[in-house]
Order: sequence, then C-alpha cells, then structure tokens
Amino acid sequence: MLEQIKQWIEHRRGGKIGSHDPGNLPHPKTPGEQLLTDCRLIVLDLETTGLNPSKDEVIAIGAVAIRGGIIHLGDQFDLILRRPELDIRETVLIHGIGPEALTQGHEIEDALLYLLEWMNGDPILAYHSAFDQKFLEKTLKAQLGYTQPHTWMDVADLMPAFFPNTKTGGKGLDNWADYFGLEVSERHHAASDALATAELTLVALNKARSEGVKTLKGLYDKLHYHRRLQNMHRF
Amino acid sequence: MASANQENDRPQNIRAIMTFLREHAPFSSMDDTHLAHFAEHASIQFYADGDIVLSPDQDVVKRFYVVKQGRIRGERHNDKEDRTETTFEISQGECFPLAAMIGERPTRTLHRADGDTFCLSIGQAAFVTLFTESEPFRDFCLRGVSSLLDQVNRRIQSSAMASIGSSTSLDTPLERYALRNPIVCSPDLPVRKAVARMHENNVGSIIVTDENRHPTGIFTLRDLRTMIAEGTGPLDTPIQQVMTKNPCCLPSHADAFEAAMLMAEHHFAHLCVIDDDHKLIGVVSERDLFSLQRVDLVNLARTIGTATHLRTLVSLRTDVSRLVDAMLAHGADSGQVVKIITTLNDVTVRRVLELNIKKNDPGIPFTWLTFGSEGRQEQTLLTDQDNGILFQTPEGMTAEQVREKLLPFARKVNDELAECGFTLCKGNIMASNPKLCLSDKEWDDWFIRFIDASTPQNLVYSSIFLDMRAIYGPTEPLNDLLDKILTRIRKNALFQKMLAGNAFQRKPPLTMFRNFRYISEGNKHSLDLKRQGLAPFVEAVRVFALANGVETANTLERMDELAKKGVFDPKDANAWKEGYSLIQAIRMRAHQEMLAKGEELTNYIDPDDLNPLDRRILRESFRQAQRLQQKLEVTYQL
Repeated sequence: MLEQIKQWIEHRRGGKIGSHDPGNLPHPKTPGEQLLTDCRLIVLDLETTGLNPSKDEVIAIGAVAIRGGIIHLGDQFDLILRRPELDIRETVLIHGIGPEALTQGHEIEDALLYLLEWMNGDPILAYHSAFDQKFLEKTLKAQLGYTQPHTWMDVADLMPAFFPNTKTGGKGLDNWADYFGLEVSERHHAASDALATAELTLVALNKARSEGVKTLKGLYDKLHYHRRLQNMHRF
Repeated sequence: MASANQENDRPQNIRAIMTFLREHAPFSSMDDTHLAHFAEHASIQFYADGDIVLSPDQDVVKRFYVVKQGRIRGERHNDKEDRTETTFEISQGECFPLAAMIGERPTRTLHRADGDTFCLSIGQAAFVTLFTESEPFRDFCLRGVSSLLDQVNRRIQSSAMASIGSSTSLDTPLERYALRNPIVCSPDLPVRKAVARMHENNVGSIIVTDENRHPTGIFTLRDLRTMIAEGTGPLDTPIQQVMTKNPCCLPSHADAFEAAMLMAEHHFAHLCVIDDDHKLIGVVSERDLFSLQRVDLVNLARTIGTATHLRTLVSLRTDVSRLVDAMLAHGADSGQVVKIITTLNDVTVRRVLELNIKKNDPGIPFTWLTFGSEGRQEQTLLTDQDNGILFQTPEGMTAEQVREKLLPFARKVNDELAECGFTLCKGNIMASNPKLCLSDKEWDDWFIRFIDASTPQNLVYSSIFLDMRAIYGPTEPLNDLLDKILTRIRKNALFQKMLAGNAFQRKPPLTMFRNFRYISEGNKHSLDLKRQGLAPFVEAVRVFALANGVETANTLERMDELAKKGVFDPKDANAWKEGYSLIQAIRMRAHQEMLAKGEELTNYIDPDDLNPLDRRILRESFRQAQRLQQKLEVTYQL
C-alpha cells in the first residue's frame, strides 16, 4: 500500500510511472464473505471521446477508494491519458480536456498498468457501470492484451436497491446527487464524478449496514435481486 | 507562475476539498500547502440521520472532523430531569471535537448526526503536523484551548449548562442585562407611594433620582423590612430620609463580571447602570446575573462578611474552593477567577479584623496592608499571608507606644487567618512583625532606605513590598505613601536597572533547545509554575510599571496600562497576557486536582503528566516570557 502511494506521489511529480511487472498483476477478487466494514472498493469514472465503445476512446480516468466504509483521499487515481492522435472536437466542451492536455497526458500503457496495480483486483463500482466497464475492458485488451474479468457493480442500481421508493426525479448521477444534497465540484471531470459516486456509495453502504447486509456477497446479491425485480417489471 | 502550476498539479478532488475549506475559519487564513496537507490526509465519512459520530463511551479521540455537509448535534443527558438535551450544533465548515482532540481524551458529549451528514476528518498525525506548522491553525486551536484549560476540571452539570445558554458569559456588557425603564421616583415621594409603585411593577427596588435623572439613592424591600422592624418612621416619610444614599453605579459598558465583583465586595443586590453623563439607564440585580447567582458568589461573600464566629469563617473556606470549581465550570477565565478568590479572601480578612476589633479594639485607627500576590489580586487557593499595618501616630504618643497596642492584636489576627487557611508567612512578612507595623513616617523612611540601598536582600523583597494594597481601614495614608514611592523610583534610574537585573535573573524554564529546564532540587521532573512560570512575567512587568508610573498592582492590569501608555506594543501585551493567563490556568487546574485528591497544594507540576498539547502550550507561554525578558534586556541594557 505504502509503496503504491509512494509511486503515486512520485508519479504526480514526474509524469512517468516507474517500472511495472505486467506478468505479475493483482488478481481480480470475487465477491465473497469479505466484510463491508473492512474491504476495499474502487469507485471509478472515465471520460471518453464519445458514447460508442466500438469507436470512441478513453481519455481520462478518475477513481477513489473506499476502505471500511470511508473514502480516503490519500488513496485516489486522477490521470489524463496521452492520446494526441484522438479527435476530441465533439466532446471537448463536456469534459474540458483539450488537445494540449492530451499531448501532455500520461503514457497510456504505463497509466493502465498503474491503474491495475492500484486497483489491486478490488471490486469496481461506477455509475452506469456497463459503460465504463466496456470502455475499460476494450482499452485494457487493446493496449495490454489484458482480459481478466473484474467484479463490477452499478451504483445506478445500488441506490434504488437501497432507497426503492425515493422520488429523485430521474435515474442519473445528478438526480441522486441533488437528492442527497451533494456538491459535485466539477461535473464531467472523471475524478470529481468518481468522488460524487463514491459519496453516494457511502450513503448506500450505511443503509446496507442498517439493513443487516454485512458482506460483499450480500451486497452483490442484493444488487442482482434488484436487477431481477426491475426486469420482471419490464415484462 | 509556480504556484499556479502547483495548484494545477494537484488532483481535482484535492483542489475541490481545498476550495471547500477555504470558505471556513480557520482554513480561510491558512497557506495552500497546509490546506493541501489537510486534504491529502482527509477521509470522507457518511452518517445517516441519528447515527452516532462520537460518543463518551469510545476511546480517546483520534480524529479531527470538519462537517462537509449536514449537521452534528451535541447531546448530554440531564440526570435530574431524565431527558436528553442538545448542548450545541455544528454545521457546515465547522470543526469538532477540539477539546477532546487537544486534551487527548474521549469526548464528553455524544455527537450525533442531525440529518444526513458527510464529515471530512484527519488523523492525529496530520493534526499535529498542521498544529506545528500552521500558525492560523494553531491560533485557532489555542484560542479554543485557553477557555478549554479553564474548563478541563469541570464536572458538567447539565442543569447549569442548560440555564446558562451559549450567549451568556461573564464578559457580557451590563447593557444586555440592565432592566430598561427602571422604576424611579423623586426624593420627596412618601415611602407608602414608592412601595405601591414597586408592587405595581413587581420589582424589589426603586431608584431615587434628582431632576437630572442622576441616581441619588436606592430603596429596596430589605430597607422596608428594616424600617418596619425598627420603627424608623411612619410610611409617609419622604423616601430620601430612609433610602440608601449614593447607590453603587457602573457604566453600561462595564461587564457582568465587574458588577458581580462589586456586589460581592459590598454585599449589594442591586446596581444602577448609568451613561457617560451619570444619568440612570437601568438597574441590574443579583438575580439578573443568573449564571453568577447559581454559583452564589454574592451570597457567599455576604455570608462571609456577616459571619459572627471564627469557626464559621473557617468552614466557609471549603465553599470558596467549591465556588472556584463552579466558576471554572462556567467558563470564567483564570484572570477572573484569581480576582474572585482575592475578593473573597479580602472579605474574609476584613471580617476577621472586624470580629477582633469587636472583641478587643486596640483603640487606634490603622490601615491593613497586603503585599505580594494578594496585593496584586492574583491569589489562588494556595496562599500565605503577606501583610502589614500602616498607622498614623496620634498626638502625644510615640510610634513605639502605638505598636505596643497594635502588635498583640495583629498577632491574634495573623493566627486566626492561619486557621482560615492563610498559611503563616515563613519569612515573617506579617503585621505582627514589629518591622512591618509602622507609622506613615516610618514606612516612608523604610522605602527610602529600600530604594537607595538596593542590597540583594532588598531586591528579593521588591516582589513583595512593591505590590501592595490596602484592604481595611482608611486608604489615603497608603495612597500618599505610594505617590512618594513611585516618584522616587521614577527618578532613580539605578534602582530601576537593579530591579530589571533582578527580574532578569528569573529565567523561564526553557533550555536553548526549547525543552523544559527542570528545577535542580527535589524529586523527578518538576516545574515550579509560580516561581519559574509566573514570576518572570510578574517581575518584568513590575519593573516597567514602576518605571512608568503605573499605579495598579495587578499584573494583567499593569500590562493593559503599559500598552495604553505605548510602552508595550498592544499585540505583544496581548500575547504576554495570554501566556501569563495560560500558565495561571494550568496552575489553578492543578490545584483543583490536588484538592480533589486531598493532597497538599503545591505549585510543582511534572510536565510529563500533561498531554502533549498542554505541554506545547506551556512551552509557548514560557517562550513569551523569554520575549518579555528580552525587552527588559534591551530597555535596561542588561
């Protein structure tokens, strides 16, 4: 852990992320009897050049870690990738990452290796996670040939699963953030959105504890049960 | 721009937390590097409505919190009424729990989330780093601490807390208490009509004013009772014949503390509040100062002042100690508490004198002098007698003959004061010492010799005899004497320099490396808070005060006066006053603790027994004493 933080700090100063051992990356963990009160969760958000995973690309990765139900700001991830070749004219207005930033970003291979190490195989949460999952998996495969399946959970499902009758006026991150009065420092900045998503996750974890959900598996099951209910309603 | 680059180099979420912090004190005045240190070491936690954040059942507090969003409520259980009371609310941007964090103890209040709440928090290590490195952050914490230190010993009484409320303190100006439109009447109104007016308005007192609305007298229900019981006159007597003339008055900007002190000293239950033209604005009663009434200062002073037996006085001393406890619990600062102790001690001394005069009048008028800490009005519970007598030799008698009459009386008074807990002075600086029971002429000669022949022994005495006050008998003879002494000292640069040199000998107990320098004698690591901690302030301030014609003997008041005269920079004066008060507070807290354990009171403490932050505060206070001494060094070229 300490070594990782050291590396991270090193990298914040320098720009290059030390040496990695691609053959010895952490293995993804599956949701089991890990207690929610002491396991680590990754809450992640990506900024991309567009919405289509088959042709658009990842340009920024933001993530924070929750450990024992607490967000530790010393344990976070906030990188812009170096992709000067990409066409970002369509989306620059949304994420505010201009061509110059993309030229000065971090070497993509390094950044992804570092991300995998930093995530340490812990479960990944994201808002509308299918989107982030597709983009990240595609990028990891293309850049590193990495195909190991990680455990993903969707915070967009987590919230209604624990607050079923809440009138938020919509299903978006903004709707839930507004409902709980969260202040998002800079919307559509990967790290900032990740933090907002993580704060919502804290709210859900608090509710989970009061409902007696103690383990990662319990959380995972609750999520799937909610999904099934949703699908049944649909028919 | 380097700083701008650095700002952009920080992760977005760290920048966002810094932006949030910047909107709130003390973070608004902290450097960016320190804010970044806070943000990088911060955690975010969520508490649902009603969740417990901190509880007295938990261990020592290890984290320092800032409310990011939502609100925290402090809860205490009122045992008497068996219900839970909210003692405070902490909202967005506010910090907690300062007291427990700095005292390194569990919280005494249950902290509960009031609505869904997010908190930022940092651990002890980050807290200590910021405390050490950031001056605004340290100041913020210390300001909390200075009132905190006074409260460390307090046993929270929920009922007292509830009735005090947050807005009431001893510093509250009287205009906040004063009853507007006081009930008044003219001097020729018959008593019957005056009492009817009091009855209509449901008040216990009426102020008699002249045509300019200047208060000339006061008439209270107690006066009515006396009048009827003693049959002083019929009820149509004009009120001016039965009123108490020249009622006690205070200007409206005086504070509740001054009012309470005046009431305690004179045993009045009412005071007139006046404006700058001496016109009546309102009346403050003992009951109005309810927070003080709870701790019963006025009542205790009255009981002491009217006690008829020595043994009553002796037994009342425990009440004084209890009162000090209560005052500390009510958040009085150390300066106020030492003044209260001094006031109550004065009342006791006066009563002992009165009782002895009643029993065995020496037949010669005299002024009872008090020296040293009592002279400076800086007494704590540990106090010994430093007193003397000043008399004017009546026609046809020699000073020696007067002494023959006064000395046995003084001996008895010294002994009885000892029974009341004022330890006999080991150096025999007492009124029963023939060398200190002197006529005005003899005192004057004594001081001439004292100032002109500055022997080392004399300089040791300077801390005693140059801080003196009259507490019984006529005050004019002492004022005349003081005038002469001050004039002589102001003219005598050599004496000033010797005094300064003597004061400079008392070094604050810090080594070159800012560690504590312990006293060499005695057991283990101990610091003498009085001799090593307070004395450097007291002595240095005395030199400046005497050299600049400041008449008051109280160290804090002397510093105020010196700042007013431009001798001290006001900021320096404040820092020194604070340093002095903090040491005094730690000393008094130690006394209360010793008392509670039934130990003999001493001024020694082992800094290892203090928590790290208290140690740091003590060290910082000693550093202020060093700065004051540097000023002495420069001024007198020592």
